[in-house]
Amino acid sequence: MYRYDTLDKEFLADRAAEFREQVGRRLAGEITEDQFKMIRLMNGLYLQLHAYMLRIAVPYGALNPTQMRALAQIGRKYDKGYGHFTTRTNLQFHWIKLADAPDILDALAAVDMHAIQTSGNCIRNTTADPFAGATAEEIDDPRVWSEAIRQWSSLHPEFSFLPRKFKVAITGSAKDRTAAKVHDIGLMMRRGRDGAFGFEVIVGGGLGRTPYVGPTINEFLPANRLFSYLEAVLRVYNRHGRRDNIYKARIKILVAALGAEEFARQVKEEWEKIGPAGDLPDTEIARIRGAFVPMDFDTLVNRSEAFEAAKAADPALARFARNNLREHKRPGYTIVEISLKAIGETPGDATSDQMDVVADLAERYGHGDIRVTHEQNLVLPHVKLDDLAAVHAGLKAVGLATPNVNLISDIIACPGLDYCALANARAIPIAQDIARTFADQDRAELIGELKIKISGCINACGHHHVGHIGILGVDKKGEEFYQLTLGGSGAEDAAVGSMLGPALPAGRVAGAIDTMVDVYLRERQDGERFLDTFRRTGVTPFKEAVYADAN
Amino acid sequence: MRALTANRLTDGEVVFWKAGAWVERFADAELFEDAEAGEAAEASAKTQQTVIVEPYLIDLIESESLWAPLSYRERLRALGPTNHLHHGKQAEGGAAIEALQHASGAARSSGRVNLIKRK
Repeated sequence: MYRYDTLDKEFLADRAAEFREQVGRRLAGEITEDQFKMIRLMNGLYLQLHAYMLRIAVPYGALNPTQMRALAQIGRKYDKGYGHFTTRTNLQFHWIKLADAPDILDALAAVDMHAIQTSGNCIRNTTADPFAGATAEEIDDPRVWSEAIRQWSSLHPEFSFLPRKFKVAITGSAKDRTAAKVHDIGLMMRRGRDGAFGFEVIVGGGLGRTPYVGPTINEFLPANRLFSYLEAVLRVYNRHGRRDNIYKARIKILVAALGAEEFARQVKEEWEKIGPAGDLPDTEIARIRGAFVPMDFDTLVNRSEAFEAAKAADPALARFARNNLREHKRPGYTIVEISLKAIGETPGDATSDQMDVVADLAERYGHGDIRVTHEQNLVLPHVKLDDLAAVHAGLKAVGLATPNVNLISDIIACPGLDYCALANARAIPIAQDIARTFADQDRAELIGELKIKISGCINACGHHHVGHIGILGVDKKGEEFYQLTLGGSGAEDAAVGSMLGPALPAGRVAGAIDTMVDVYLRERQDGERFLDTFRRTGVTPFKEAVYADAN
Repeated sequence: MRALTANRLTDGEVVFWKAGAWVERFADAELFEDAEAGEAAEASAKTQQTVIVEPYLIDLIESESLWAPLSYRERLRALGPTNHLHHGKQAEGGAAIEALQHASGAARSSGRVNLIKRK
């Protein structure tokens, strides 16, 4: 894991001290709310419905146990004993007091964390593959490039006042676990003909009011030219992106207006002007790479008798193994996904006690490595199969062993109107209803992979456009209604979902999902996922069933 | 009928106007039958920059012989999040809280409309 150097540490301490003084001036009435609002947002502090919300950056979703314990402690001391992991792989605390915020920033700085660039029209946290450094699929470790982007984009003077916020995602392989194609920039690692690696560069994807799957503007960018190219993309955007209309200010609107080809041409022109002088020297990349040296793995065989015996004796462990484990690049190891989607609980929430347990398990069994996924789950990327029964028992003891990753109850939901000042409708209770409807794990496994994503407003923090089933909360004359979309995907086969039909009242959403699942089970062929069946049949059978039910 | 609401500066707590001061419980809020009185209170509230943030008037309806905010968003603010019933003001329970929970009015919150206008 990357460690901050002395300069980084001094900077964070100074920044926290500066914010303490600014909060003091605001409380004393020396600056107005209008003057202060920008300052607090630049430190990740929003005012929501019930309290302030602090959004803490988790760079490329990677945490060490010390950081996780610090977050747990902040939750305990300053919030209500929990935190909420987001689709940007960040952590939000929803019950923060302004007067406590400076102390919290100090506590974060003590473990190399902060809330800078988690708000505002700047480059936000980069999303990286949560299996980085652990999956055999990867061409190169995306954390190296994500960390370089973090350093390059942090307080970058040219890019701190963009037309609108800007989000980057990086995959290390052809498999996409980051929703790269619906980011402002998606970088998908590719192997060139000569064996060297580079990136397919996708620009102008996005969700929100105007969803787009981004076009590829460069099929293969050599990795060592990444930073001059990023600079060129940002420059073209900064120069021509719209600042007159907040709804048309994201880069996706510019790329769509110019056309991908013309946008690519302008980027290329700018890129040639910048030249290799705009790139990070190989020595700098090598220095950063040094922080992500391969783990000291034991040499093992790819079968653990202890694990096999434990699985045979414990059906719950066997089920967990079926659904929450992914293949590790080293024999005898596995990637463990920890679902934050216990049936009936709030998607993405973790209590302070749960955070402490994850930290302990990562320290004892997982090489001290923890990841946050954009699907609001956690990952222990390096666990020995021999230790799996112990890890499962540890997770189970605190309600973290829900065996439902990628299944229908593994639902993304934004905080919605229960917390968010921007929301039109609640998202969490809809997720809870659906999860309870599909609480039967046998049925959930029979249904297989089905990604439901829920947003409480058109800003789409819950990624509803790319849900296999997407749910968008809308306000109809002050009442909560929900529009359903089908056939979206945030993976390498990215697609924006199609509208099912008229919006449904809250009480009918889970039932409509149940109806559509029945249609899928009736129609599916040869191991098709819900998404595959939908792509083959189109929306008609689903629409007929849901709205026939309504009559 | 209307009431005047805001968030408290120091901690973001939802508060309601009562005779020039701010109270945490909606049940204790001052009610304005007269539009001018409400607007005068709102104007006065806007000068209390070191006490509260973003004051605005909300419309009310009757619920179980008590008053409740007309919009769902405002009832949520007066109660707390529905996913954690022990968090927020609703944790206290009692008839006034139940009246808010049972209210069924629907309208856009002026707080949300103001928020969009300001963007």
